[in-house]
Amino acid sequence: MKHSGTTRRGFLASTAAIGAMGLMPALPTAGFAQAGSVLRLRLDGDNDILDPGYMSGGTEIEAQKQCLPFLAQYDRTEEGFDWAPTYFVTKLEQRDPTHIDFELAEGLVWSNGYGPVRASDVKFSYERMKGTDWSGYFDAMDHVEVTGERSGTIVLSEPFAPFIMITLCHGPGAVLCEQAVKDAGGEFTNEFPAVCGPYTYEAIPGQRVIFHANPDWAGPKPAFERIEANVISEVKAAELAFEAGELDCTEVGADTLARYTKNMPDNTEITVAGELQYMWMGMNTDHPKLQDIRVRKAIQRAVDVDSILQGAYSGTTSKSHGIICPGLIGNRDQSGYSYDPAEARALLEEAGVSGLELTLRTLNNQERMLAAQIIQANLGAIGITVKVLPVESGPYWEMGQESKGDTWKDLELWIMRFGTTPDPYEAAQWFVSDQVGKWNWERWTDPEFDRLYQEGIVETDPEKREAIYVRMQEIMEDTGAYLWINHEPEAFVHTTDIDVNAAPSGELNYRLFDKA
Amino acid sequence: MLLYLIKRLGLSAAVVCLVILVLFSLLYFIPGDPATIALGPRATPEAIARYAEKMHLDEPVWRQFVIYIGNVLQGDLGVDVFSNRSVTTIIMERIGFTLALVTTGMGWAMLLGIPLGCLAAVKPNSWLDRITGVLSVGTIAVPSFLVSIWALLIFAVHLRWLPAIGAGEPGEFGDQLSHLVLPAFAIGLSWVGYLARMVRASMLEVMGENYIRSARAFGLHPRKVVFGYALRVAILPTITLIGMGFGGLISATVFAEIIFSRPGIGKLIFDSVMARNFPIVQGAVLVATSLYIFVVLFSDILIAWLDPRVRESL
Repeated sequence: MKHSGTTRRGFLASTAAIGAMGLMPALPTAGFAQAGSVLRLRLDGDNDILDPGYMSGGTEIEAQKQCLPFLAQYDRTEEGFDWAPTYFVTKLEQRDPTHIDFELAEGLVWSNGYGPVRASDVKFSYERMKGTDWSGYFDAMDHVEVTGERSGTIVLSEPFAPFIMITLCHGPGAVLCEQAVKDAGGEFTNEFPAVCGPYTYEAIPGQRVIFHANPDWAGPKPAFERIEANVISEVKAAELAFEAGELDCTEVGADTLARYTKNMPDNTEITVAGELQYMWMGMNTDHPKLQDIRVRKAIQRAVDVDSILQGAYSGTTSKSHGIICPGLIGNRDQSGYSYDPAEARALLEEAGVSGLELTLRTLNNQERMLAAQIIQANLGAIGITVKVLPVESGPYWEMGQESKGDTWKDLELWIMRFGTTPDPYEAAQWFVSDQVGKWNWERWTDPEFDRLYQEGIVETDPEKREAIYVRMQEIMEDTGAYLWINHEPEAFVHTTDIDVNAAPSGELNYRLFDKA
Repeated sequence: MLLYLIKRLGLSAAVVCLVILVLFSLLYFIPGDPATIALGPRATPEAIARYAEKMHLDEPVWRQFVIYIGNVLQGDLGVDVFSNRSVTTIIMERIGFTLALVTTGMGWAMLLGIPLGCLAAVKPNSWLDRITGVLSVGTIAVPSFLVSIWALLIFAVHLRWLPAIGAGEPGEFGDQLSHLVLPAFAIGLSWVGYLARMVRASMLEVMGENYIRSARAFGLHPRKVVFGYALRVAILPTITLIGMGFGGLISATVFAEIIFSRPGIGKLIFDSVMARNFPIVQGAVLVATSLYIFVVLFSDILIAWLDPRVRESL
């Protein structure tokens, strides 16, 4: 009789055979080092929501810039950052402080048979944004008037100088196809309902996004036919992939930037996109230990910021003198105080303070912990004992918010970093009086600061704006509540045969990459 | 056997329930408001309110738990906070990569570790046994993340023999296999040592049994005695170890998946923890834990099936 089915012996033999498959020699891997007109980049995670109204930001904006029309784009000048019209428009002009006229270029066509790009798509896209998570960028906009098939006017409800720079150049300024979005149910997530740009979009979740050349695109041809953006969540892993020749360009961390700057590998270059982050040590002016301005000013003068820049950031970041970042209107090249331990001691003596003990809270990451330890040592030298308290990001971002508990009452010192857009208005908005208990954790108010903030928004003369924002930072500094630390750069390492195009805040614009 | 099966299934179900409870509680043990943590510090009040409603955070805790359990039983692990995609779909897209990695890693470890253990046991205290012992302890002692980093630096960055990142082009078997080599090597290396030591110890015990002595006395070929009689019995405890190891590797892959930027459950959990995407963390941990329990259960049943003594003692 013939016996069929699995036997114990058979099982063991099959197991061994399956195991042997795991030891099969690897096949040649020539395929992973592609070249030519393929550009290989890094994404720090999957793009979750491509809809400009509900996106998280970051690489989702990168995807929008390749696949959707924008009216304006960032332009880097010798003085700093400016804006310029994109090739999607033949006209973009600020007629007066509340009217911006535009005319779309001819021949722009949506994919999936949705026809030409119309001024009504611009109207739909921008007016729709007022009811979304990113509505803040359109607070100043009243409506969009359509004056022709391809022309229209963006009407602001009040003058808002940075509108083109921070809204039209940025992700929220993407133009969507009205009919396609309506057909998709009014919102979309990880697929564009229709694209109009040099590339189409294909996502393989957890692995990569591929931007293919758009067959319907009639505009300027991009330098690369295909972009492969690999999902690599860790910066270090991406750096190694670059060194292994599997990426053409990737963001780098501070230590790698320092290493490369000191000893640049062959065929490698660094491009710094911008330094739109500002870090400072804040002091709670309401706290009994810090209510005396002389104590706060003593702390400002007791910390050697240059040591922090070297010790924690390997000299790769710019020293900060305020909240306005390098390249922006109002950026200062000097603070009103400097490292002077003797003066710090004198100020403490004058205030009659001795044996002061303070708690310094910081996010628990390597650079900030090092910075905190240097501050701890510097303040120790003038007799202030500092306890460093590392805080996990969840509770950290709630520390100074009155709506999130009572921690704000105990807050003494903290290291904070904010990111911003390429206009000084954005950085200044967090420190006006009505932000006390929200994001103004230092808890000071100043009528002049509030007035200047409003003036800065409506003022269009660059020189006058410069004076406004410089004065605002002086006011902040004079409270003694700020120790300016640094502006971290968004730096990219890449091969020498490509020219990188990145927004000041670090988003890459692949369609404007070039072959060197 | 049936009673044993029922007992084991009941125990497994209880462990899964406990895991569900712990995962549900996770959201409430983490300091801070769950909606703010998930959406970031500058989320608008409208977005926070919408999230709270979507996640049922505005309901009493007991009701949230009932809803969660009900959904899990229907295979609904919730939706991704950011993309609104089904968590079950997201996990299914990645689980194949983790299973391929674990199977390959454990597979090559078995193929090398089991014969090494046999050889060491056949000639105890010989130079071969000593070398095997040193290598085994050495590989056990080196953590897999360290092996991953060194393997990446040597074979991908320096020599450029093998790819450094990703899982290969979809549909291209050779490319996918080449992307599997380094991570599988990294996670499997310590298991070579474990298995060699385990098989050696079991084999030494079995080789002293009367029936082995009898087989030798009858003049059977040594290979027949070792592989035909001794290994068949000595392999049984190793199967339990492999079962537990397979389950353990599912969580151990997290380092390899991060270092090699390879999609998989481990990397999904890591990325989701970093992004405070709790529905995915809960869903992926639940699936990983359930897989572990399933594999251990399967190895227990396999032992009972393979070993008549275990079966009869039930």
